[in-house]
Amino acid sequence: MEIKTTGVAGTLESSDIQIMISKGSNGIELDLDSEVKKAYGDQITKVITETLQKFGLENAKVKATDKGALDCVIEARTLAAAQRATETTDEPKLEVL
Amino acid sequence: MDRVVDLYLNEPATRKRWEAFLSQLDIHNFSDREIDVIDHTLGLLDEDGKLVGTGSIAGNVLKYIAVCNKDAVVGARFNKIVTALQQYLFNERIFHSFVFTKLKYSSSFQHLGFTELAHSDQAAFLESGTPNVEDYLDELPKIADQANKKVTAVVMNANPFTLGHLHLVEEASKSNDLVYVFVVATDLSLFNSQERLKLVQAGLKQLKNVVVVSGEDYMVSSATFPAYFLQSPEDLIQTQTTIDARVFKNIIAPKLNISSRFLGEEPKSHTTSIYNLVLKKELEPSIAVKIIPRLELGGELITATQIRREIKAGNLDQIKSFVPETTFEFIESNLAELQQRIKEGMNINGN
Repeated sequence: MEIKTTGVAGTLESSDIQIMISKGSNGIELDLDSEVKKAYGDQITKVITETLQKFGLENAKVKATDKGALDCVIEARTLAAAQRATETTDEPKLEVL
Repeated sequence: MDRVVDLYLNEPATRKRWEAFLSQLDIHNFSDREIDVIDHTLGLLDEDGKLVGTGSIAGNVLKYIAVCNKDAVVGARFNKIVTALQQYLFNERIFHSFVFTKLKYSSSFQHLGFTELAHSDQAAFLESGTPNVEDYLDELPKIADQANKKVTAVVMNANPFTLGHLHLVEEASKSNDLVYVFVVATDLSLFNSQERLKLVQAGLKQLKNVVVVSGEDYMVSSATFPAYFLQSPEDLIQTQTTIDARVFKNIIAPKLNISSRFLGEEPKSHTTSIYNLVLKKELEPSIAVKIIPRLELGGELITATQIRREIKAGNLDQIKSFVPETTFEFIESNLAELQQRIKEGMNINGN
């Protein structure tokens, strides 16, 4: 799957996460900002990376600003951002979730 | 639930309500310079329809962000308005945004994923999104073994590129292995940013150790620096220059191994002479500041301001001896267009 543009999903409001995906060439490069990074940073990283891999993205720059989102929210926002970045929103790949 | 609405400041009643709200929160500067550049303004209304938050977009800069936290969870309204502003930018396909704000609010923006580029005792400058400053620096051309080379930099607006600019870069080129010439990207000059960049590149082609690049958003210009949150307009040049110098010193120079900066002496422009002074104070000792005397031709100083006045008057002969061939050709073939821009109100007496 090829990234064509920058894709964003999510908000900066409480219990949400904002994911921004743009072109990269070095695997999944994740820059995570979270108030609960100490406790849940590894888990958030795992959810984002696995969602992108399931979707079929191997290289991407990902900026995630977390405001305490649950895993299901992180998955959904990651998928939406990935579909926007690859310009494939007309074919929702809900099986990734 | 608070809801986000569009505010149209050209409606007098909306404008009045907006200004009254900001005044309560200690923002009092509503000068044309600040307001005219705003592309869009959002408001946050509470359940009774009362204005409890606002924020604006000017290009890729967030401005006039203010929220009232009364009867609300601290931070919730701020997060909501910043999200809404970013959503607006994303819809415009702008994924990289900036904010200039009071120092005390820097941490609030950092909580929302903004990265601080620099701060002074009054102001902070932050960016968010992609491509960021690291991406910008990664993309710049580099030479082999740059970490052990002598590297310098020149920053110029070059409106337009003159023999004076050429002289300055030649001096830098003589005593260094590599010279970065950063051309200011702000589009408020007689020659637009693309024209300026092209003329600088053309005029310096013969110097093999010179790399000409756009300064993009990282050469902070006084022309676009928001002053609405400063205590007084007089603080503008000082604050802007301090921020500009610190971005250069702390972020740009280390990554490119830049150890000095060449500046043209400024006997004529008040703004630039303050700029030079503050720059020297901020950059030294880690970055040596070399101020080069202005080039004189036949007893006359060369200034881009003078060139622009001659363009207005149509004196091509006067221009010819002060600019490189490449700049002259451009002026000659675009004279009518340039004069038209001046006629339409482009200020030619600034920088």
